[in-house]
Amino acid sequence: MANLKEIQRQIKSVSNTQKTTRAMKLVSTAKLRRAEELAKRSRLFAQKTNQVIAEIAGRIKCNKVGGIENRCFIENDAPELIDIIFVTADKGLCGGFNMQTIKAVKRLMSDYKNKNVKIRLRGIGKKGIEFFSYNQVEMLDVVKNLSSAPDMQRSSEFMTRSINDFKEGKVDAVYIVYNGYKNVITQELHVNRVLPVNVDSYDCEEQKNSVLELEAQDEEKMLDSLVTKYAEYNMYYALIDSVAAEHSARMQAMDAATNNAKEMVNSLKVKFNKARQEAITTELIEIISGVESMK
Amino acid sequence: METLQLEVLTPSGSIFNGPAKSVTLPGEEGEFGVLPEHVSLTTLLQAGVVDVHKEDGKTESIVVNWGVVQIAQNKVVVLVDGAVAIRGESEGEIAKALDEAKSLITSVGDSNAMIASVSARIDSAAHHF
Repeated sequence: MANLKEIQRQIKSVSNTQKTTRAMKLVSTAKLRRAEELAKRSRLFAQKTNQVIAEIAGRIKCNKVGGIENRCFIENDAPELIDIIFVTADKGLCGGFNMQTIKAVKRLMSDYKNKNVKIRLRGIGKKGIEFFSYNQVEMLDVVKNLSSAPDMQRSSEFMTRSINDFKEGKVDAVYIVYNGYKNVITQELHVNRVLPVNVDSYDCEEQKNSVLELEAQDEEKMLDSLVTKYAEYNMYYALIDSVAAEHSARMQAMDAATNNAKEMVNSLKVKFNKARQEAITTELIEIISGVESMK
Repeated sequence: METLQLEVLTPSGSIFNGPAKSVTLPGEEGEFGVLPEHVSLTTLLQAGVVDVHKEDGKTESIVVNWGVVQIAQNKVVVLVDGAVAIRGESEGEIAKALDEAKSLITSVGDSNAMIASVSARIDSAAHHF
């Protein structure tokens, strides 16, 4: 009989867990919808900004308009110090979401270490920060509670430090690593080099047809503030995208957990019924043999 | 008549997307107007008011705090950090938009003269209603 009670207790505990995971899934679904909407709306802005920047950068690469020597647009083949900014979630229970980002960061770090490039790690999001501090990897600065509630101002403040260091020549490249939203069931890992602006994909032939003109007198000033905004905005967009991805990852993880719990309850129920039947059979045998002995 | 295709985008979405007869922008070096067939240009904007002269003869004002404008082949793309369009169905909505616009300007303004001149323009835009 003790066995029966034990199984019953287990069933109860598993179905309680199931209730929690189901609730978490519902919460994530609701949050995902909002985050997705936000990401969708700013995607257009991100595309346009990147387009403008790419066009300017491409022009500078192809025909060196006005002899612009802004660091932000010039490819650096031998970087000495780079910034890696990673974005993870503040909370766990979202499957491999955080681990994917962390792995990508580690890969990038070892790649650069092999080339004898020094790395400064800057982190956003509790989970990643905890991982690297546990592994005793030094981080330049860390921000918590930003990835769960993206805020333009805070993300700009954070990014400005990297941008300024880059402009002053202390840092040679700035990378952002984050897990972005692709659709409800897939996340996509992004390793973006924000600075210097990536001009590899720019085709000089195509550029000949470009209609872009720059105002000559304020070129330097304009590029400077444009690049700052571009970098800040990319940081912000990474945060928004990451939140959407986090919720979709959590939704999936919790869905899987709920299903697993359901399966477990079912198999426990089978076990319970078997134990119950066994107990009844034993009792019956006892009664029958008692009656037999009375004869 | 030829028209421009104007798009005003902020990080949180599109504020204006549609045809316009002309548009006046607060450039870094001073205000300038853009008519159809304008030469291609990319330049910075400062805090101020973007006036959109729409096809139906009405004017719509959008207050911006910083931005970049890209003009190419009758397409004007304005990328801004923050923007408030002064429009609304009721007086209450317009008043709310006005308040938002003023606080947007005060948050970026570094000189009182600039804030005052933009605020005055916001008020005059409001009188159109």
